[in-house]
Amino acid sequence: MDYPLIIATACGAIALYLMMPRGQGWLVKLGALIGVLALASGLSYLTHWASVQFPAQHAGGPGIFFYAFALIAVGSAVGVVCHPKPLYSALYFVLMTLAIAGLFVLLMAEFIAVVLIIIYAGAILVTYVFVIMLASSSGVAAAAVDYDRISADPLIAVLVSFLLLGTVLETLFTHRPHGFIAAGSTSLAAQGTHWLGLAALGKNLYSQYTLPLELAGVLMTISLVGAVVIARKNAPQTHMLGLGDMPAE
Amino acid sequence: MMITHATSSFSDPVLVRYLALGAVLFAIGLVGFMARRNMIMIFLSTEIMFQGVAINLIAFSRYYHNADGQSFVIFLLTVAAAEASLALGLVVMLFRHRQTLNVDAWSDMQG
Repeated sequence: MDYPLIIATACGAIALYLMMPRGQGWLVKLGALIGVLALASGLSYLTHWASVQFPAQHAGGPGIFFYAFALIAVGSAVGVVCHPKPLYSALYFVLMTLAIAGLFVLLMAEFIAVVLIIIYAGAILVTYVFVIMLASSSGVAAAAVDYDRISADPLIAVLVSFLLLGTVLETLFTHRPHGFIAAGSTSLAAQGTHWLGLAALGKNLYSQYTLPLELAGVLMTISLVGAVVIARKNAPQTHMLGLGDMPAE
Repeated sequence: MMITHATSSFSDPVLVRYLALGAVLFAIGLVGFMARRNMIMIFLSTEIMFQGVAINLIAFSRYYHNADGQSFVIFLLTVAAAEASLALGLVVMLFRHRQTLNVDAWSDMQG
């Protein structure tokens, strides 16, 4: 049992519970304070954990950029979940996507970073913002509607997901003498260190995953047709569907 | 070579930090998925969970020097885009029926 880890997770849970929208501003500020405390204790636990478990490798930490991007990502993810206005949530989501793209660059996945920005920040989020502005009569200036201002069952949601998070983190931070390499898998030295980035990705995608790639294209086509059919303006009448007499609304 | 040097410095504690970040993002998205009442926000929360999973995949891809993780993220993005288009189409359709985005308005659709 790692009590500091459990305490940090519990602090995070309390912070998120307090920050869930329920129409009271000072609770959000208190929650943000506890959330900062939770993040700080989590970071100090990480430093302590690395210095105890990996004394030799402690010098080679992930560096300042990881922490900067990670803090932006977590903070704006909390903003997405907790902001009472959906449009601001969508903008926080763009911020989170940009931070995660930065993390992907740090992980030497530049192509994925660019694709993430183009697809998420460029395409998906534009669709979300369109639907938000189309479907909610309230724009940016209008007050948030009731079902956005007050969330449903934040206690159960926070309990369930932070129980999951605590379990995952507890498993993650138990020391493995042989790292994450499972027995029987080839070691890194045997594979060589030819990391070619985009070239390796392309070769992998078009040799090993050719059929799944084609299936992904089929999936995109099907979802395109499905979205057009579902969101058509003149919805099909019930007699056309052959459903007979549906209950009137 | 500079790339080789940087590759060798990606050690276990660094990987664990990325995995922990992915887990935190997944948990935050899960909270939003269960606690928000706006249909659009529910789907936006699933996108947060997608990104947490994507961080895990990319970090493992970096750790093992294997492009499989990046290929999986390509597929993940494909499925996320398909899911977003279908989900938003459904949201628009449901909004036309009842003029609200509240999921509780559809709680008579059970069993």
